[in-house]
Amino acid sequence: MASLQQRLNDFKQAFESGAPPYNAPHEAIETMHRATAELKATGIEDRALKVGDRAPSFTSFSQDHVQINSTDLLRQGPLVVSFFRGHW
Amino acid sequence: MELEALQQIHSEVRILGAGIVVITPERERYTRALHKKLNLSFDILTDLHLKIAEQFRLVFTLPDYLRDLYKSFGSTLDRFNDEPEYRLPMPARYVIDKDGIIRVADVNADYTIRPEPSETLKQLQALSEAAAD
Repeated sequence: MASLQQRLNDFKQAFESGAPPYNAPHEAIETMHRATAELKATGIEDRALKVGDRAPSFTSFSQDHVQINSTDLLRQGPLVVSFFRGHW
Repeated sequence: MELEALQQIHSEVRILGAGIVVITPERERYTRALHKKLNLSFDILTDLHLKIAEQFRLVFTLPDYLRDLYKSFGSTLDRFNDEPEYRLPMPARYVIDKDGIIRVADVNADYTIRPEPSETLKQLQALSEAAAD
């Protein structure tokens, strides 16, 4: 299977072509590019937690409404934590 | 796409004694549906009001002009996330060792760029080899 980034690139290309099924207007794509560039320019990436920092412990509810604690997860071994903005 | 790609490495991640957890501002009714649809074997945690993302310093507010654009597409974050201020986390993938120290941090303001799960797997392998020494 193609790499994740390759598939993301393919999707981006299809979306930004303005063709069906997305039919994204050119102005909308420009707006999205502008927002990403502006966000990058704020330096927010450099302020995020980095390699060597201690990860904050966290507790939250899973999709099955089970309370999950990061300390319990780390007791079992290393942890990959992925922040996902949503399905929309 | 990223969640499906993480699902593909999950069994190998588990063999290395490690785990995966996904954190999203979406409310549980949406994480439940997504989890089921993608048939995931790791948990998706709801980060209500972005409390966890704030601690990792990943939160930003969508500018008004982008908020209006998304609304015109029919995306209403206030409904999905109970987030009337339209704040979001930057996409990020961290590898945390069992002592709680961040060993890998992939953070990108451009949400169309993501690290390869195969790289994450290699990083976990390196961690597990270092721990065995």
